[in-house]
Amino acid sequence: MDRAAAGPLACGRRMRMIISLDMFHFSSWRPRGPDRCRPCLKLATIVVTATLASGCSTGATPLTSEAPLIAVGAENEYANVIQQVGGPYVHVVAIMSNPNTDPHTFEASPTVAREVGNALLVVQNGLGYDTFMNRIEAAAPSSRRKVIDVRQLLGLPKTTANPHLWYKPGVMPAVAAAIARDLAILEPAHASAFDRNEHRFVVSLEPWDRAILTFRAHYAGVPMATTEPVADYLLQALGAKNLTPWSLQADIMNGIDPSPEDVATERNLLAEHRVKVLVYNQQVTDRLTQSFIQLAESHGVPVVGVYETMPTPGYDYQSWMMAEVQALQRAVESGISTMRL
Amino acid sequence: MGWLSLLASLPSNEAVRTAVLVGGIAAATSSAVGVFAVIRGQSFAGHALADLAATGGSGAFLLGVNQFWGFVAVAVGAAGFMEAAGVERRRGRDVATGIVQGAGLGLAALFLYLAAQTTTRTGATFTVLFGSMFTIDPSGIPPLLGAGSVALSTILVLSRVLLLSALSPELATVRGVPVRAVSISYLIVLAMSVALSAVAIGAVLSTALLVGPAATALRVARGPIQAMAAAVAIAVGATWLGIVLAYVSYAWPPLGHGWPVSFFVVTLVVLPYALTHMFRRPRPRALSTAQSSASVPQP
Repeated sequence: MDRAAAGPLACGRRMRMIISLDMFHFSSWRPRGPDRCRPCLKLATIVVTATLASGCSTGATPLTSEAPLIAVGAENEYANVIQQVGGPYVHVVAIMSNPNTDPHTFEASPTVAREVGNALLVVQNGLGYDTFMNRIEAAAPSSRRKVIDVRQLLGLPKTTANPHLWYKPGVMPAVAAAIARDLAILEPAHASAFDRNEHRFVVSLEPWDRAILTFRAHYAGVPMATTEPVADYLLQALGAKNLTPWSLQADIMNGIDPSPEDVATERNLLAEHRVKVLVYNQQVTDRLTQSFIQLAESHGVPVVGVYETMPTPGYDYQSWMMAEVQALQRAVESGISTMRL
Repeated sequence: MGWLSLLASLPSNEAVRTAVLVGGIAAATSSAVGVFAVIRGQSFAGHALADLAATGGSGAFLLGVNQFWGFVAVAVGAAGFMEAAGVERRRGRDVATGIVQGAGLGLAALFLYLAAQTTTRTGATFTVLFGSMFTIDPSGIPPLLGAGSVALSTILVLSRVLLLSALSPELATVRGVPVRAVSISYLIVLAMSVALSAVAIGAVLSTALLVGPAATALRVARGPIQAMAAAVAIAVGATWLGIVLAYVSYAWPPLGHGWPVSFFVVTLVVLPYALTHMFRRPRPRALSTAQSSASVPQP
């Protein structure tokens, strides 16, 4: 689990902030009604413990005199966007953030339940990718909490086969707008800041959009093979042709054995050089995907490793997506493999 | 794609060729060993070994090593423990075995959970418990064939003394048969065949290949050697036919996925057993008497 980092802060400043925060909570909460008091006290306690635990070098404590709003991104790419929009006014927690695990097999722990229970803003993917979030939210109901389900936000049907929505250009700007809207309702005082941040985020995605258009202009229709559908929306946007049968991708995603027919098809794609790149999911592997990588390498087909969740540290959503497009471009252009970002 | 064109592409499919080899050797070994498991009344011990093999397989998955070695290590270790603790002896055997078996599956659950939480490896649960015959790495075939040949030849060499010591331990001792040594060798061979079947059709289902063909063969065959031959024929036939059916099931709904090969194998093992019950009454003979007096609990 990650605490998404905000800007660095001086230690003395933070100590003063904690004191003022405590005074704020004990003296001026009355006007908001007694029923509000208990969660607010809890909130204050959490912020203080979080600050003490994290020491002076890291943390996401804001420069304001208010307790930051706690937000949860079920996947760290959504958490990253919440942080970019919320800035110092939001303390963001990411649930799935380990690039060395398979998110499809993730199971929530009591710690996760506590984090979500405290959150006022939750962004989750939906489509069965993070169903555990719904259960936790139902177990700790809150009338103030805003939940953004990205599938619902986009108006996609529940039967959408590929759940990896964050790979689709245009999805994150919509998510960022929804985050800004909900944050403005939760913290009206900072609405203009959220609006500004959202705008900045959308503008910062323009180089990625341009890179996609450039790729498309040069290599539309380039044949590729995949092990799993994680980056399929991006490959579509790039104009690439994914020749791997959907049933093979879905079976590997769901952790069941693909049919021998599909395995043979995939092996032929690689052995007969019918594809320019093998795009493999770093985070969903088994002996079969390993054998595909070996086959690709022995036949000189470049391999590009892509990620389910945002690789950390060192990347934000924009730079991660950019790096994957650049890796695909290098593979198609010069046959260079990029196993890891 | 129609059935016929699918069948035409079957021989050239590498995954099918691997499955035919590995499934064949696993079926032959398990069913031959299984004849003695049924005669000696040890099919429950075989099932316990299979569940414990799941612990080894999931541990191997967590460590990222070939599951066969995990299956073998834990199954052979557990067989040694069973022999030392006298689990083979009738009284209290099922209780002790049941408790250890439960603890083993609990460990398997822990290993599979840790593998899911800390690694990118996917599909562990399915592969360990129910087998993934079509995704076996061809480079792993030689050790499987080696283990199968060793187990098969051992059981052939030991078949006479095994039969004797099963039917009359006293007579075997009088004749100078090292009963204890035979028993230990047999348990090791049993563990190896369970590990092989676990690779082919999964740890939980491996008992099906061990007990099913043997039980059917003992109902129709005239002697132990014929029973072994019949059991091997039933098991290998069921496995290979299961592979073919799983291959053509690609054309069945849900289209393009195929049904799990383990399902077909186990079903084809159970069918002839059911048929022998429907179409003939067991004859009162020495062999089937030994079999029934051993009070075999079916898994």
